[in-house]
Amino acid sequence: MTLYASVRHGLAVTGGRAVLGVVRWRDTFRRPRAHPHLAPPLRSGVRLKELIARHYLKGRTASSAVPVAWVTSGAPVEPLVALGYHVHYPENHGAICGIRRVAEDLCTAAESAGWSRDLCSYARTDLGVVLTGRTPVGRLPRPDLLVCCTNICQTVLGWYQVLAERFGVPMALVDTPFLYGTAPPHALTYVERQIEVLVEAAERAAGRTLDPGRLHAVTRRSKDACTLWREVVDRARHRPSPITAFDTFVHMAPIVEMRGEACTVDYYAALLEELDGRVARGEGALLEEQVRLAWDNLPIWPRMRWLSDRLAARGAALVASPYARAWGELADLIDPERPVASAARVYLHPILNLGIGQRLAALRALARDCQVDGVLLHSDRSCRPWSSGQADIRDRLVREDKIPALLLEADHSDPRAFSEAQASARIDAFLEGLGA
Amino acid sequence: MLPVHHPRALWRAHGYLPVEVWGPPGTDATPAGAHLQPFLCSIPRCGLAFHLAGGLRDVDVVVVPHACDALQGLGSILTDLPPRPLPALTPYLPRATGEVAVAFLAAEIATLSTRLAEGSQRGPTADDLLAAALDEEAADAAFRALLDARPRISLSNAAFYEAVRSREYLPPAEFRAVAEVALAATGPVDGIPVLLSGIVPEPAGLLACLDRHGVRVVADDTACVGRRRYAPGTSTEPFRRMAEALGSGPPDTTRGSPLSERVAYVVALAAQTGARAALLAIPGSCDPELFALPVLRQALEAAGVRTLHLETDLSMPFTAQADTRVEALLESLP
Repeated sequence: MTLYASVRHGLAVTGGRAVLGVVRWRDTFRRPRAHPHLAPPLRSGVRLKELIARHYLKGRTASSAVPVAWVTSGAPVEPLVALGYHVHYPENHGAICGIRRVAEDLCTAAESAGWSRDLCSYARTDLGVVLTGRTPVGRLPRPDLLVCCTNICQTVLGWYQVLAERFGVPMALVDTPFLYGTAPPHALTYVERQIEVLVEAAERAAGRTLDPGRLHAVTRRSKDACTLWREVVDRARHRPSPITAFDTFVHMAPIVEMRGEACTVDYYAALLEELDGRVARGEGALLEEQVRLAWDNLPIWPRMRWLSDRLAARGAALVASPYARAWGELADLIDPERPVASAARVYLHPILNLGIGQRLAALRALARDCQVDGVLLHSDRSCRPWSSGQADIRDRLVREDKIPALLLEADHSDPRAFSEAQASARIDAFLEGLGA
Repeated sequence: MLPVHHPRALWRAHGYLPVEVWGPPGTDATPAGAHLQPFLCSIPRCGLAFHLAGGLRDVDVVVVPHACDALQGLGSILTDLPPRPLPALTPYLPRATGEVAVAFLAAEIATLSTRLAEGSQRGPTADDLLAAALDEEAADAAFRALLDARPRISLSNAAFYEAVRSREYLPPAEFRAVAEVALAATGPVDGIPVLLSGIVPEPAGLLACLDRHGVRVVADDTACVGRRRYAPGTSTEPFRRMAEALGSGPPDTTRGSPLSERVAYVVALAAQTGARAALLAIPGSCDPELFALPVLRQALEAAGVRTLHLETDLSMPFTAQADTRVEALLESLP
C-alpha cells in the first residue's frame, strides 16, 4: 500500500460519493418513463444505481491503496470485509458486461487466446477483461488475493487458477463438498479449517490482523442484510406481486457484492419499506397481473429487458426464482457469535451445492408459496451445475405437481447462445397454454 | 465406477468387483438427452445412456466420484431422481491439499464403508481393509513400473493401453500378471515420441491412428492412466492410508491441483521422456481441462514441444478430420 495511492483513493471516493449523491438527488426527481404494462420502477432503484456505481468507483483507485480481493460470488467474504479489503466479484461484473452487451466482445477476446467457447461466459468475459483491460466500469483493481469457493461450481476453480497464474497472486481455496442433505460433520470441519486458512492468507496479503470484534460486526450486518433480502423476495407472495424476479435479479447486487457492509442493510430496509407500501396500496409490479411464473437458474442478462417486456405484455408476472432467493434463505444459519464455524455451515448449503432433489423441493416450495401458474427453466449453457437435472425437474413438476413448465435454452451472458425467434415462439405458446 | 479417483481397495474389501466405465465409448448417447443437455460432456451422457439401455443391469451399485460439474450432475440425477433405479454412491474428492484434505477424504471413505456394510449386512475388519489396501498398492507399483518402462516396451500403443488400462477392472494379482507380461515385451522400439494428455485415450480410433502414423506414446498424462500413478500410503489406519494414496497422484485438473504445478509437471514429463509433440485429447465441454489448456499449450510450445488439441466425443468414432490433423502435426515436427 502506498501513501500516494491511499490519498488518491481517498479523494476519488470522497469526490465520487459527492458526485453520485448529486446524481441520485437529480434522479429522485426525474419522472420515470411510463411503461404500457409495468408499474413505475421502484424508487429504490435510484439508490441502487448509486451503491453499485460507488462500489465500482472505489475499485478504480483501490489498487495499492487498500487490499483487493477478487472473489467468487459464494465465497465467505466477511473476514475480507472486516480486514478492509475492497472486494471485487468477477461474476457480478460479468453480469454487468452482459447487461451492457459487451460480453460478446470480451468472450471473443478470451476465445482468441485459446479458451474454449464451451467454458462459462462469466469466465470468458472475465478473462477477456484481464486480457484487454476493457470494462464498462472504467477500470478494475488488480487483486492482491483471489478467493475461490466451489459452492457454486467447480468451474470457478479452473477459472481462478488461471487468474492466479496471470496475476501471480495467492489463491485461497474454500472447497465445499457437494451435499445431498445436510452437511456431515467431516464436511463442516473440512470447510471450517479452510476458512481459517483463508483468514491467515488474507491477513498476510493485507499485512494486518483480523479484529474479532470487527468480524463479529460484519457478520452481524451480513445476517441482517440476508434476513432483509429474504423478506424482500418473500413479498412476491402477495397478489399482485409488488416485485418481479427481474427486479430481484437487479436488486440482489448489494447482497452479492456488498455483503457485510452497513449500506447494504440500510438499502434493503428501505427497499422493503417501499415494497410494503406497494402491498398496502394493492399495487403490483405489473399493471395487470394475469398469470404468475417462477424462474429457475440465472437470468439471461443481455435479454432481460426483452423478456420482461414480452412477459409483461401478456400479463405474465415472473414473481420468484430460487437464484435470487438463495441469498436470503441461509440467513438463520449465520451466527455472529461463531463467525467462522457458522460460515462453514452457511457456505456449504447454498442451493447450488445441493442435489437436484433438494432443488426440486425448493422449486416446489417456491411455486406453492408464490402461487405460480407455471415455471420457466433456463437451460443455461454456461451454468452446467444448475442446468444438469433440469429436464428431470421439469418432468416432475409437470407430471407430479401439474405445474406447466418450459425449458428455455440460452446463456446467462453470451448472446450468441440465444435465439430470439425460437424463444419467442416457445414462450408465446407456453403463455397461451396458461391462458395469458 | 465412473471417473476418476476412487478407493479400489474399499470396494474389494467389501467383496465388490469394481469395473470402471469411462463413457463407455461408442455408446449412442441419444437416450441420455432426455436427462442431460447435449452441451454437457460425453462421458456422463454416455454413462447414463449405457445405464438406460440396460448396460448396468448386473451392477449392484454405481459409484460416481465427484470429478467435475458434469459428473456431479449425473451423480445427482442417479441419486435423487433416477430414471432407472440403481443404488448410487457419490464420494466427494477434496480439491484442497494437505492434512485437511487427507482427513476429509479418510472420513469420506469411512462413510462409504459404512454404507457398503449396511447394504451387504457384513463389513470387513480393519485388517481386511488394510490387506486390501496393500494389495492395491502392489498393483499400483506394477502400474507405475509399466508406465516408467514404456519407452523400452515394444508393444503398439493399442496393445500397451490395453495392458495398462486392464487396471480399471482386473483384481490386483491378475493385473500384476498382465503387467509382468507387458514388461517382458522389450525389444527395439521406434516411432515419433509423443506425450498424450487429456482425460481418456478414446475413442479407440485415436490409438489406432497413432499406431498407423508411427507415433509412440512415451509419456501419459491422461486422467485415466498417468494421473493415477498413486504412491503407497503410510498410515496403518486403512481409510487414512487409502486417502493418502488417492491424494498422491501427479497434478490433476479433476483434483484441483494448482495450474502452475500441473504445467511444470507435464513440461518436465515431456522433457524426461523426449516427447517431441503433445496430443491433448479432451472431451468437448470438459471444464477442468479446457481452463488449463491454453496455459499448458503455451508452456509446452515454449519448451519446444509441438501441441495438438483434439476435441473428442466418446459417443462418436474418431474422425478422419482428426486423423488428418494428427498427420499434419507430425509433418510439422522439425
